[in-house]
Amino acid sequence: MTDNAPANPLEILAYIISAQIRDHTIVYVGTGLPMVAGILARFTHAPNITMVYESGGQDPIHGGMPWSVGGPFTWRKSPTIMEMAYSFGQCYNGYVDIAFLGFAQVDMYGNVNTHMIGDNFLLPKARLTGSGGNNDLTSLAENMVLVGLQTPEKFPEKVDFITSVGHLRGGNTRKEAGLLGNGPVAVISQCGVFNFEPVTKRMRVKTLHPGMTFEVAQMCTGFELLKPEGEIPLTPMPSPEIIEILRKKVDPAGVFTSLPSA
Amino acid sequence: MGVFDYSREALENLKIDDTGVLDRLVDFETARKVHLGKERAKKDKRISLKEAVAEFVQDGDVVMDTGFGYVRTCIQSHFEIMRQEKKNLQMIGAPNTNQSYMIITGAVTYSHNSYIGAEMRGTDRNYTRQLKAGKVKILSEWSHGGVAQGLKAAQLGSPGVLSKQMLASDIIKYNPYLKVMQNPIKKEPDPTVFIPALYPDVTFIHAQAADKYGNAYIYGPTVNDVAGAAASKKVVITAEEIVPESDIRYNKKGVIIPFFYADAVVELPYGALPGSMPGYYYWPRQWWEKLMRLAGPSDENMKDFIDEWIFGTQGPIDFVEKLGGARWMIEARRQTKAAEGDNEDIDFSYQEYKVGSDPGIFF
Repeated sequence: MTDNAPANPLEILAYIISAQIRDHTIVYVGTGLPMVAGILARFTHAPNITMVYESGGQDPIHGGMPWSVGGPFTWRKSPTIMEMAYSFGQCYNGYVDIAFLGFAQVDMYGNVNTHMIGDNFLLPKARLTGSGGNNDLTSLAENMVLVGLQTPEKFPEKVDFITSVGHLRGGNTRKEAGLLGNGPVAVISQCGVFNFEPVTKRMRVKTLHPGMTFEVAQMCTGFELLKPEGEIPLTPMPSPEIIEILRKKVDPAGVFTSLPSA
Repeated sequence: MGVFDYSREALENLKIDDTGVLDRLVDFETARKVHLGKERAKKDKRISLKEAVAEFVQDGDVVMDTGFGYVRTCIQSHFEIMRQEKKNLQMIGAPNTNQSYMIITGAVTYSHNSYIGAEMRGTDRNYTRQLKAGKVKILSEWSHGGVAQGLKAAQLGSPGVLSKQMLASDIIKYNPYLKVMQNPIKKEPDPTVFIPALYPDVTFIHAQAADKYGNAYIYGPTVNDVAGAAASKKVVITAEEIVPESDIRYNKKGVIIPFFYADAVVELPYGALPGSMPGYYYWPRQWWEKLMRLAGPSDENMKDFIDEWIFGTQGPIDFVEKLGGARWMIEARRQTKAAEGDNEDIDFSYQEYKVGSDPGIFF
């Protein structure tokens, strides 16, 4: 890809995720696009964030793109590396502001499934990874942002397995169940950015990406999406300068931001 | 051994009739007794990997997957367990990536699951297939943090911890060990999850260096290994290098697992292969891609792959030869040093493995 080519969908997603990150915060990231986004945020609007990873690495100096949350780029010259129990413990104790993770399915209340597809746990259509740190972060983090592709199967009314509790059954049910933090505050897909209506805690469109309509977003969703009042704003798109930083400094090899070749 | 009261809902959901199979993971009494009976003298505990596996792994043991998936994980020890045809093992770990290839040969038959798979390398289709074929039975589901807290509880010297993790999720419905209970110090409702202390039967830990008594030095993420070593009934230290005790005392600032946990010490250079070893070697990414993409999709491919790489090798030396020998070693050291910031930055790009075209060297 040449340097002045228009942003591809993965680059756009990385930018939108990065825009969720405020400067001077502690950010817990998983592998893939969230990591790209964290590093992009550091090179642009949030140079003073501290990144934390579940294998225990934290505050590494900049290096290449990590291929694992245990890989050397997650603890490159870290002042300290936490044991896993303490790494999540920091999240419980209020030392993590925002966390980013993916999902196989997410439902209308932001509950996440990364366990299995099907209706029989013991004989699933597909067995997936299981929780890893997904449940821990979603249970504990002050703010959770979920990132993934949007299709009716991946956005069902009810997930096949609740790996991580978002807003459970809506309303106050998350808090009543004893979980910490605000739960999922945003879901980011190729269609748009979604938040949760404050009373019902149902998923609601916040912004749509350019070229996307509410009707198309709804067609990509297995439940009824809520619509904000008034006109739906467009998701801000990355400037050419930001795309250049992404390509030259953040992911020069295109590990996570180049589209698979045909 | 204690008598345990498991979650009935989870037993029903997991269709576990005989709960005896669950007991050893939470068997504190036996762990304490075994720990009290361990050798206290500073003895030279060095033996070979073959001897260590033969002596310290019994059929049916709960084995811990240490390190982090493919970072400083005792994978060569797993391979030796398979070569010695150990049977009916349970595997726990956070993650427990490495149980998958052990299931197909019957070494591992029970899962305590936290994370299956190899992150960006692709989904683990082999595990799904073995699960459907009844080759593996799930005994419990966990989050990473849940396993970490259970092992840490053991190291803390506590019957268990109260946690906010896994609360209200379906994981609880598929874990017989967990109990939801009110936080006893609070007057208002405050649900918590009781996670019992976890005691694996046998834990192999691959360290950068160890002395002959078993003091083991770890550099990089220790993940759950210090807790696992403290909890486990039997502990085998494998190490890239055996160093004098004085080197541990004077030079090795960092995490040390104390010698009196260790039942055996094995000098095992390249013992984390095909994973990476901080300070020593980068991981062969194409090997993992071949495992997930070529071997993963069918039992036949998986068996061929295991015949070639595990039963067809005697240990790490053969394995290094197959990965590309000296040229692989030099490249892997350069890569890991650069990744850790101890060398000039290098280009990490490589050709991803394509089915049907084996690389000369597995980068």
